[in-house]
Amino acid sequence: MDDAAEILQTGAVRRTGEGPSPAVSAREARRQVLYELLSGVSGLILALFMWGHMFFVGSILLGEPAFDWLAEGLEVTYVAQPTVVIILALFILHAVLAARKIPAQLRERRRFVALAKELHNAAGEWRSEGEESPLRPHVESWLWIWQVRTGMVMLVLGSFHLVLMGLDILTPLFGERVGIEAATSIARTSAGLVWAYGLLLLCVEFHAGVGLYRLAIKWGGGSRLRRKTLERVEKFIFWFFLGLGFLVLLVLAGWIPPPLAFLLGG
Amino acid sequence: MTARKLTFEIFRYNPEDPESKPHMQEFTLAEEPYMTLFRALNMIREEQDTGLQFDFSCRSAVCGSCGMMVNGRPTLACKTLTSDLADTVRLHPLPAFKLIGDLSVDTGTWFRAMAEQVGAWVHERAPFDPKAVEEPMDDELAAAIYESDRCIECGCCVASCGVANVRPGFVAPAGMNRIARFMMDPRDARSDTDWFDVVSNDDGVFGCIGLMACHDVCPKELPLLEVYAYLRRRALGTAFLKKA
Ligand code: FES
Repeated sequence: MDDAAEILQTGAVRRTGEGPSPAVSAREARRQVLYELLSGVSGLILALFMWGHMFFVGSILLGEPAFDWLAEGLEVTYVAQPTVVIILALFILHAVLAARKIPAQLRERRRFVALAKELHNAAGEWRSEGEESPLRPHVESWLWIWQVRTGMVMLVLGSFHLVLMGLDILTPLFGERVGIEAATSIARTSAGLVWAYGLLLLCVEFHAGVGLYRLAIKWGGGSRLRRKTLERVEKFIFWFFLGLGFLVLLVLAGWIPPPLAFLLGG
Repeated sequence: MTARKLTFEIFRYNPEDPESKPHMQEFTLAEEPYMTLFRALNMIREEQDTGLQFDFSCRSAVCGSCGMMVNGRPTLACKTLTSDLADTVRLHPLPAFKLIGDLSVDTGTWFRAMAEQVGAWVHERAPFDPKAVEEPMDDELAAAIYESDRCIECGCCVASCGVANVRPGFVAPAGMNRIARFMMDPRDARSDTDWFDVVSNDDGVFGCIGLMACHDVCPKELPLLEVYAYLRRRALGTAFLKKA
């Protein structure tokens, strides 16, 4: 049987009404708003942080001295230390809150995936030419599935990375001094971490891009024009940071020399 | 131009019959100009299998009884032209509803239960006085209310919604649309605080995870994304601006 039949195998069927009485207490309702808000805001902050982060690690494109100068600058001013702790906390908070929405049972998830896949693939089984197209292509359900999947990968690789950075910033465990140094970062990355970081980068950019798009639609509505614009912005941001990120990784892995080093006369 | 030969793969299952197993059955039919699925299905039933179950009533996208999954998308069969479909047409009943048989589902029970849950009727401020002059309503507001009243309760949004498919209590897009409609209505006695308990939880607007399928499949092209954002903002306002 195909996916559509899979969807029909199990499922939610409403049999009787719960009546017009309020479903939850006002207190519980207030808590729900808070959860929803925190989950959105934590995601937003994390995404904004990632952009800032990308520009900071991007300093490696200017060469090791620039990277070291910036890293030390953020450490002696005590910006880096609290940041790594706060980001780790937000990261966990966001994971916990966002995971509320993932269906708990396996068959529910199978149903979710099957439905999203059907809707996504439908575009290929409709011809809808003509000017009054009855088909509005739909990918967002399928993107949500991938948001969950990338989220899971990030939970593992992101936690690892955050803890590693925490140790690097707060302890003398790596390198010659307490703090992040280009030399140790390059050593770690080129020793094999580059693969993990490549995957993490891809997941982060996808997850953050789609997440921001969805957040904007959820709270701002999506008249057709706005939605199209948002979609374009999302795509641009995704490719821009993905490109920048991979360039940084190539340098950190020692596969190419810092391409902008000449700017500093290096 | 020679007519296309269309292959219909139709979901067959009769839950009443213990012998019956869900399976796909194939039918072939020569396409006609301006053929709708309504016509195609009727031809199949008349000429090939008199036992095939499906629902139609108005044949003009008004009654909402012909919703089904057409090539992976929930839509109204009566307004779907076969010329918009690939050579193979896959038909399934709408998920999330109780299956009556083959392509026919019971949307009525679902909508009735949803309507009771959200109280989808005007809760009068004062007893209706037939002699009093009717209070005027702002044109824009009347148009907005009319817009959401265009919902024909076909159930396509419910079927397309991942959440509605796994959570029976979720009022789903159609329910949200109802809520927004009565929220806007100045004749309705319910305040934001009254609505807050219905809207602000996982069976209400926060059950929505922003999949947007409802908006994309709605055969009446209702602005469901706007509805959701409106309810979210109202809930937020109630939570932080009003003392409950
Ligand atoms: S038959 Fe009435 S909506 Fe299709």
